[in-house]
Amino acid sequence: MQEAMKIYFELNGEQRYVEIEPGESLLSLLRRLGMKSVKSGCETGDCGACTVLLNGRAVRSCTTFAAQVRGKRVTTLEGLGDVDDPHPLQEAFVEAGAVQCGFCTPGMILVAYELLSKNGAPTPQEVRAAISGNLCRCTGYVKIVDAVLLAAQWKREGKWR
Amino acid sequence: MRLKIKRFHYARDVEEALSLLSAYRGRGAILAGGLDLARSFNPKLEGLIDISGLGLSYVHEQDGGLRIGATTTLTEVLESRAAREYLGGFLAEVVGQVANPPLRNQATFGGAVASAHPWADLPTALVAVGAEVRWVDQEGEHRARVEELWQGEFRRLLSSAVITEIFLPPWEGAFAFGKLSRNVGDIALLNCACGLGIEDGKVAWARVALGATPRRGRRLLWLEDLLTGEAPGEELWQVVREQVEANVEVGADRRASAAWRRAAAGPLLARTLARAAEKATARQR
Ligand SMILES: Cc1cc2nc3c(=O)[nH]c(=O)nc-3n(C[C@H](O)[C@H](O)[C@H](O)COP(=O)(O)OP(=O)(O)OC[C@H]3O[C@@H](n4cnc5c(N)ncnc54)[C@H](O)[C@@H]3O)c2cc1C
Ligand code: FES
Ligand code: FES
Repeated sequence: MQEAMKIYFELNGEQRYVEIEPGESLLSLLRRLGMKSVKSGCETGDCGACTVLLNGRAVRSCTTFAAQVRGKRVTTLEGLGDVDDPHPLQEAFVEAGAVQCGFCTPGMILVAYELLSKNGAPTPQEVRAAISGNLCRCTGYVKIVDAVLLAAQWKREGKWR
Repeated sequence: MRLKIKRFHYARDVEEALSLLSAYRGRGAILAGGLDLARSFNPKLEGLIDISGLGLSYVHEQDGGLRIGATTTLTEVLESRAAREYLGGFLAEVVGQVANPPLRNQATFGGAVASAHPWADLPTALVAVGAEVRWVDQEGEHRARVEELWQGEFRRLLSSAVITEIFLPPWEGAFAFGKLSRNVGDIALLNCACGLGIEDGKVAWARVALGATPRRGRRLLWLEDLLTGEAPGEELWQVVREQVEANVEVGADRRASAAWRRAAAGPLLARTLARAAEKATARQR
């Protein structure tokens, strides 16, 4: 018998107290909590579609146990912005034409968010290295790199939050 | 995620982690980053023991060597100045080629040593530099060189132990790392780590490990002997290419054939040795 357990953690700025299965993945928990930006692609750590920020660092939610985020801060794309109030990175992806089917986009944006939080002026090569673990089957990556470079420029110009 | 475990524990110290492990009698596992455990299918597992709160995330320089705490993530290693400076950037060169940034945010150094995947990069590098693993079990503290640990029944041994630290010793010469994979971030089809000490224009000592053969990285003692006393340069690298192709022990797996590995190993080793020689000579100046 699996014993359910309860954990506190911060999700997109809000304290949550939730019941989880001890072997449940963070991906499963976040989907249960309605975070539909967190996609299930491979569930083996290979594609990056399930990426979230854990204490500000991009991780795969499919290879993280929900229990591991106890007391920590989790950010999903919903925490950055939405259609009515998009984050500059989301706007840059639209502006650069970096979104096709959109399945990889939340993961791409969160990985880019971590990169830009550490490096305000990345080179195209640094952007490519940062997104190298996130697969996109549609765009061919060029527009995604353009979008991240555009967002970096906006950040330097103060258009950021 | 496939694990149907019954309980998840947050260990407060090493003693608690060990007593939980022993209470589970082989049905519990230490959880560090969780990257491997989250992907595993072990139906026997009943409990996970999270050791991220044990204070084992650190990188310390010691007499030119490095002490890396078991739960230090690969990103934390890359961010540590001491680790970036170790052996003229050798460790950073290796860790920077492991997977990709989000996986490095999660994977721990101790987890990489405990899982010791045959195709992985870190084991090959750690064998080449002669890293030492330090662990604790019910009998007390232990230490062993990685290659000795991995030669034995280390999975059984580690099922009732906690790795606390990995020590990377200082070296006077220089090391370089080489990896062949299908694309950046993919796992290796073949990897190698080469260290050379150069004195009076000759190889004074050599440490060469080849991994993902598809077996885990191990030293090529015969190649180390062949190199010692010789002058580094194109002539020597040509001998390396020929001798490796003739003598190297490689096999096949679903990623690459033995014939491909045999043909690729010589050029990979020669190229990596040439880089190590260049670095070692530059370090002398
Ligand atoms: C998609 C993917 C790509 C990868 N690519 C590469 C690559 O390119 N190159 C490379 O070298 N490696 C690669 N790896 C391997 C990676 O480095 C390891 O999976 C990772 O380091 C494991 O660490 P962890 O902390 O997540 O382990 P966990 O999943 O927490 O643990 C792994 C195993 O080690 C045991 N364990 C962990 N810590 C300890 C400890 N302190 N004491 C005792 N036992 C312990 C656990 O019980 C478990 O059996 C890849 C892995 C994945 C999933
Ligand atoms: S779903 Fe997590 S990496 Fe693919
Ligand atoms: S836009 Fe479709 S997978 Fe990237």
